[in-house]
Amino acid sequence: MVYAKNILIIDDEETIQTVVKFGLQLTAGWDMLAASSGPEGIQLAQQHQPDAILLDVMMPDMDGVATFKALQADTNTSMIPVIFLTAKAQAAEKSQLKALGVSGVITKPFNSLDLPEQIAKILHW
Amino acid sequence: MLQRANEAIALLNQRGQIVAVNDPAAAILGLPPGRLIGRPWKAFVNTPVDFSRLHRGAQPEDQATGEKYISARRVTRSHAAPFGRPPHVGAHVGVHVGALSPSQLLSQPIVEWSLTRNILPRRHLVVFRDRGDRTTQAEVALAQQQQQAELFAEVALKIRQSLQLEDILHATVTEVQRILGADRVLIYQVLDDGTGQPISEAVLPQYPKILGMQFPEEVFPTDYQQRYAEGRVVAIANVRDPSAGLAECLVEFVEQFDIKAKLIVPILHHPVLQTPLAGTGASDTAASPRPVALWGLLIAHQCSESRQWQDSELALMQQLADQISIALAQSQLVGNLEDVVALRTTALRQQEEQLRLITNALPVLIGYIDREQCYQFNNQAYEDWLGLSLVSLRGKHLREVWGAESYDRMQLPVQKVLAGEVTTYENEMVGPDGQGRSLNITYIPDFDAAGTVQGFFALTSDISDRKAIERMKDEFISVVSHELRTPLTSMHSALKILSTGRLGVLSQDGQQMLEIADENTERLVRLVNNVLDLQRIESGDVTMEMQQCDAANLIIHAIEAMQPMAQQQGVTLESQPSETPIWADADYILQTLTNLLSNAIKFSTVGQTVTITVEKQGQQTLFQICDQGPGIPEDNLDSIFERFQQVDSSDSRRKGGTGLGLTICREIIEQHGGSIWVESQIGQGSTFAFTVPSSPRSRQEQKSTSLQGKQES
Repeated sequence: MVYAKNILIIDDEETIQTVVKFGLQLTAGWDMLAASSGPEGIQLAQQHQPDAILLDVMMPDMDGVATFKALQADTNTSMIPVIFLTAKAQAAEKSQLKALGVSGVITKPFNSLDLPEQIAKILHW
Repeated sequence: MLQRANEAIALLNQRGQIVAVNDPAAAILGLPPGRLIGRPWKAFVNTPVDFSRLHRGAQPEDQATGEKYISARRVTRSHAAPFGRPPHVGAHVGVHVGALSPSQLLSQPIVEWSLTRNILPRRHLVVFRDRGDRTTQAEVALAQQQQQAELFAEVALKIRQSLQLEDILHATVTEVQRILGADRVLIYQVLDDGTGQPISEAVLPQYPKILGMQFPEEVFPTDYQQRYAEGRVVAIANVRDPSAGLAECLVEFVEQFDIKAKLIVPILHHPVLQTPLAGTGASDTAASPRPVALWGLLIAHQCSESRQWQDSELALMQQLADQISIALAQSQLVGNLEDVVALRTTALRQQEEQLRLITNALPVLIGYIDREQCYQFNNQAYEDWLGLSLVSLRGKHLREVWGAESYDRMQLPVQKVLAGEVTTYENEMVGPDGQGRSLNITYIPDFDAAGTVQGFFALTSDISDRKAIERMKDEFISVVSHELRTPLTSMHSALKILSTGRLGVLSQDGQQMLEIADENTERLVRLVNNVLDLQRIESGDVTMEMQQCDAANLIIHAIEAMQPMAQQQGVTLESQPSETPIWADADYILQTLTNLLSNAIKFSTVGQTVTITVEKQGQQTLFQICDQGPGIPEDNLDSIFERFQQVDSSDSRRKGGTGLGLTICREIIEQHGGSIWVESQIGQGSTFAFTVPSSPRSRQEQKSTSLQGKQES
C-alpha cells in the first residue's frame, strides 16, 4: 500500500501539469505541486521537499538536465528522487539520461492515469 | 637489184619513208610499188621506229621524251628474235601483223621484218620474211595477241591502281602515246555547255601543247557529240584528204596544232547509281538507270606526217577508252563514297563536339578508368571539383586522386566493376575549398569484343544537396514527432481521465464520442511513434546493439506482451520454442515479433490460432508467425512491406494500424542483415517469416550478400 504522496512536476506545458495532477489524484489520491520552469521547480523542491520530482527534459532556458544537476548539487534537494519526462523514446537516449543518475525515465506520450503505478514501480514504493 | 632479190625488201630514207620497194615487199604491204614510194614505213608496222634517232645513231631512249622503241628485249621475250640474232643498235627487230582482228588473225599473212641501219649512205634496209605456214602464223598471232594483252594489261593496271582520275588520265595518255608512237595523245573533256578542253596530254616536245585550252562549241557541234555518244570512232589518216570529210575551217583549225592525222575514240560515261545518302531522300535516283553520256574523247595526233591508223591501234584506243569509262564510274563511286565519308565524318565530328560540350557542361564527373585503376579520360568537371588539371589526372591512379580514405570505400565497387558488374555506391569527398561533398557513383564496365573488361566508366554526381535535404527531412520528422508527443500526452491523458466517469457521467452518445476520440488518439500516438522509429532506422541514426541472445526467450516475451490483445480477440497464441541462438538487438527483434503478432491477431477471428516457430537453418535463424486469417492476394505480397501499403486501406482503419508496422519490421531485419517475406494464400492464412544471423560470423556473410543485393537492385 502506497500512502499519499506529494509529487512535484516541473514542465513548461501547463496542460501536462493539469492532466498529471488529475491522473495522480484520481488514481492514487496523491497531491501535486507544479512548476513551469527549472528555477521555480528548484525553489518549490527546496520549500516543500516532495516525495518525487517529475522533470521535463526539454524546457526553454534551463532545461531538465541542468535543473537536475542543480537539484543534485543542493543538499536540500539532492536526496529527492527525480524521474525525467521525455519525448525522446530512443533506448540510447534513455540510457544517456539514466546515466546522469536519475531514478527513471518516462517517455511521452503517457497516460497520466498510469503514472502512479509507473512511479511506484520505478521508485520501488 | 631489188627486183632480183628473193627476199621482200624495201629501202627507207632517213625520215623513214619508203624510197624503193620490190614486188614481193609491195605484195606484203598490200599496195602497188608506185603508191608505196614516199609513204612512211611506220604506217605499216605497229612498232614505231624513230628514224631521226636512227639517223643520229642514238640509243633507244626512255619514255620520258614521249617516244620509245619497242625494245628488242621485249620481242625476244614474247617470241624468239625473228632472225635468230641478238638485237643491236641499228638493227631493229619487229613484227608486222596485217590486222589484229581476231577473226582475221590466222588468215592474214604473218610477216617478220628486220631493219638494218645505214646499209647504204642515208638508206636503211628492211627485209621481210613471210612466215607463211599457219602454225607459225598462229604462233605469231598468239604472241602478238599476248603482247597486246600485256600492253593493255599494263595500262589497265596503271589505271586501276589509281583512284585519282587525274592520275589515270595522265597514265593513259602517256602509255597510249608510247605504244602508238603518236606525236600527241590527249583526253578532251566535253563540258555540259558543249564547249570542252583537253585535260590531259602527252605530246612530243617539238609540237605545241593544247592542254588546258578552251575549245568553243563550234569546234565540236552537238550532232557530233551525239554521234560520239553512240560510239562513233574516227580515224583520219590525212586531215587534208577530202575523203576524210573534214570541213576546211576545221582543217585550218587542226593544222594550227600541226595535226596531220588523228584518231578519235569516245569516252562514254555510264553513270553509277547514286548511293542514297542518309537523309538526302535520293532514293528516286536509284529507281532507273541513267543514260550513257559522252564524257570526252581519247585523241591521238600525228603531227610529223599523215598516218594510216591500224585496226589494232583503234582497238587499243577503244579498249583504253572503255577503261577510262570504268575509271570514271569508279571515280564517281569513290567520289560518292568520299562524299558519304566526308558527310559522316562531319556528322561524327559534330556529334563528338556535341558530346564533348555536353560532357563538359554536365555537373557530373565522367571518367574512364583502365584495368590498372588509372584515369584515361576525365571531363571538365574533374578540374572544377578536384582542382586538378585534366592533363595531370591522366594516367593517375584512383588512390592518388581521391586519397586513401576515399579509396578504401571505392575498393569493393572497383573490384565488382572489374569483374563485369554495374555498380552504384555512395562516397564522400572533400574539395579543394575544404567543402565536403556527398557523391553518388556508378561504375559501368567496358567490355572488349572478347567480353573481357578493359576498364570502366565512372559517373559521379554530387548528391550533397539531396543529402542535406534528407537530413533536414529527418530532423523535421524528428522534431515534429517530439513536438507532437507533448500535446498528445495531454489529449491522451485528458480523454482517459474523462472516460473514467469520475469527472461526471456522460450520456451514452457522449460516451461513444469519447471512445472514438480516445481510440484515435491512441492510434495517433502509435503513428507518431512509428514515423519516428522508421525515420530513425532509415536514416541510420539507430545502431543495432547486436549481442548473442535466445530466440525462444524473445518469443515468450512477445507472446506475453500480446496475450491481452489476443484474449480480447478470442485468438490463441501457440508456441513451443526451444533455445535457439541469434546475433541480434533483442529490443528490435522483440519489436518485430510483437508487430507481426499484433498483425496476425488483428486479422484473425475468434477461435483461430496464431503459431510462432523458430529454427536454426545453417548460419541463420528462421522465425515464422503463422495465422489462419483471410490471407493476402498474390499481387500484394511484394508491396505489403512498403509504407502505407495495407492490403485494404479500410482494414487499416478498422484494425487501427498505422501502415508503417511492416516497413519498420523490414528495416529492422535488413539492418540485421536478414530478410523478411510473407507466404500466403487467400482463405488459407498467412505466414510471415524472417531470418537473422545465428552468430557474428554469419552476420558478416549475410551483410556482404545483402549489400551486393542492394547494389544490384
